[in-house]
Amino acid sequence: MSFLSDFIEYPFLLRALIATSVLSLTCGLISPLIIAKRYAFLGSAVSHSTLLGLSLGLFISGTNAPLSLYLWTLGITLVLSLFLAQSTWRQSLPSDSLIGLFFTATMGLGTLIHSLTSRSSGDLMSFLFGNVLLLTNTDIYISILLAVLIIPLILIPFNQWILTIYDEDFAILSGVPAKAMHFIFVFVMTALIVSALKISGTILVNALLLTPGFFALSFARDLKLTFLISVLFSITTAIMGLVLANLLETPSGATIAMTQLFFLFLAKVIKVILR
Amino acid sequence: MLEARHIDFRYPDGEKVLEDISFKIEKAGMLGIIGPNGGGKSTLLKILVGLLPLQKGEVLFQGTPLALTKKAVYVPQTITLNDTLPLKVSDFLNLSIKSAKLSLDECLTKVGMLDKKNDLIRELSGGQKQRVMLARALRQIPEILILDEPTTGLDGEGQDQLMILLKGLQQNEKTTIIIVDHNLNQVLNHADKILCLNKKHHWHERKELLTQNIINDIYHCEFEHIRLHEAGTQFNDEHHECQHDHKHHHEKSE
Repeated sequence: MSFLSDFIEYPFLLRALIATSVLSLTCGLISPLIIAKRYAFLGSAVSHSTLLGLSLGLFISGTNAPLSLYLWTLGITLVLSLFLAQSTWRQSLPSDSLIGLFFTATMGLGTLIHSLTSRSSGDLMSFLFGNVLLLTNTDIYISILLAVLIIPLILIPFNQWILTIYDEDFAILSGVPAKAMHFIFVFVMTALIVSALKISGTILVNALLLTPGFFALSFARDLKLTFLISVLFSITTAIMGLVLANLLETPSGATIAMTQLFFLFLAKVIKVILR
Repeated sequence: MLEARHIDFRYPDGEKVLEDISFKIEKAGMLGIIGPNGGGKSTLLKILVGLLPLQKGEVLFQGTPLALTKKAVYVPQTITLNDTLPLKVSDFLNLSIKSAKLSLDECLTKVGMLDKKNDLIRELSGGQKQRVMLARALRQIPEILILDEPTTGLDGEGQDQLMILLKGLQQNEKTTIIIVDHNLNQVLNHADKILCLNKKHHWHERKELLTQNIINDIYHCEFEHIRLHEAGTQFNDEHHECQHDHKHHHEKSE
């Protein structure tokens, strides 16, 4: 059982446990909204665009200044996501092609900048797939601060979020600030993705954002239960993934993603058998 | 009175959808809007309620821009509903209705959906969803009710019930109604005035001026089962702006 006691013994693992718990709580809360709003691809585009922010952040501040790196990455990714938010608001043409181009352009540019400005590509690899060794106390404070900001932002106007998803036209005519909420939602996704980079990495962070909501929507027949199941699934499977990563000595991002997908698959199989 | 004056609308790609559209409806009147797909019907409704910008012209309700009065309640096509999240009918009806004048049970009873109160929206049929959207509009007892294809998914009996309900609103609550529908007979029978839209201007203040030939021309096809009151129609230009040659059509129809 040393793989469990490691989390108390080693500070970096304790930091990973706290950050994973807090981020998975917040991701679990917004996950059903991401799926219902059909923003899965948009989330992918944001997560991949972080590479551009990261490359510039690493060039400017390096890995030894986690707050500065976080702020640079967040700032640049927020500016990029502003473009995404604007180009996906009530467009008559499908925006997936534009998102796909955005995805490729920002990731390509980020990789180029990093290869031109960094002596080693090792730093960027850690952010592609996650590396809990990079987590600092600052990252924990950031994840807690985000949870404190995002949870009320979702729960207080909860009905308004649901109305904008169900019937955006009616929401607008009822005086709901649907456009502002669209931008806020994209910014919330961006902040969460940037904060989860050291745990899950650019490529695998979507598992945290999508799997809990997909799981909950597959089973729940009640709105509030959907969000409760999503949060519980997110926290338990993310922690299990982190524990497994320590036990198997595998990358945290990949292990968390595969743990979440395994339980989703298992639940789906059980559902089919019971039917 | 609800009055639209000289409305033009062009989409960002440059396509002109509406050109110089004008009409008037008295309080408690019903305007039926007909026309083929892509003719600008839904676009016009969205302009009326303020979902699309008014590029040219004006829409006034008792002298005030309609969008500012917040008097219009819009019932969109059910296809616009995103029901991914599991939401009960009762919860859906309670979302952001600030000025409900009818109770949940009353409005569901009016549309014959009280027994579906605790069902999930996503498990309802298209016609049932349409009734729920109508129930939501009825909760506010609107002064102006704007409906986009409300009979979609309803069977014949459901369509008749809907029209009876709308007539009741007109007579009892003095609601002004604007309805877009593909069921031409329902619209032609119940509406007081007809606006034909095929990107151009076809305004019929008096619906008896509408002939089958005009409808065939608007839709670019021939209808065999349209019920029109053409007998004894006198063609003159009073209260009438239309680009059709009525005399020619009338002679053709004879």
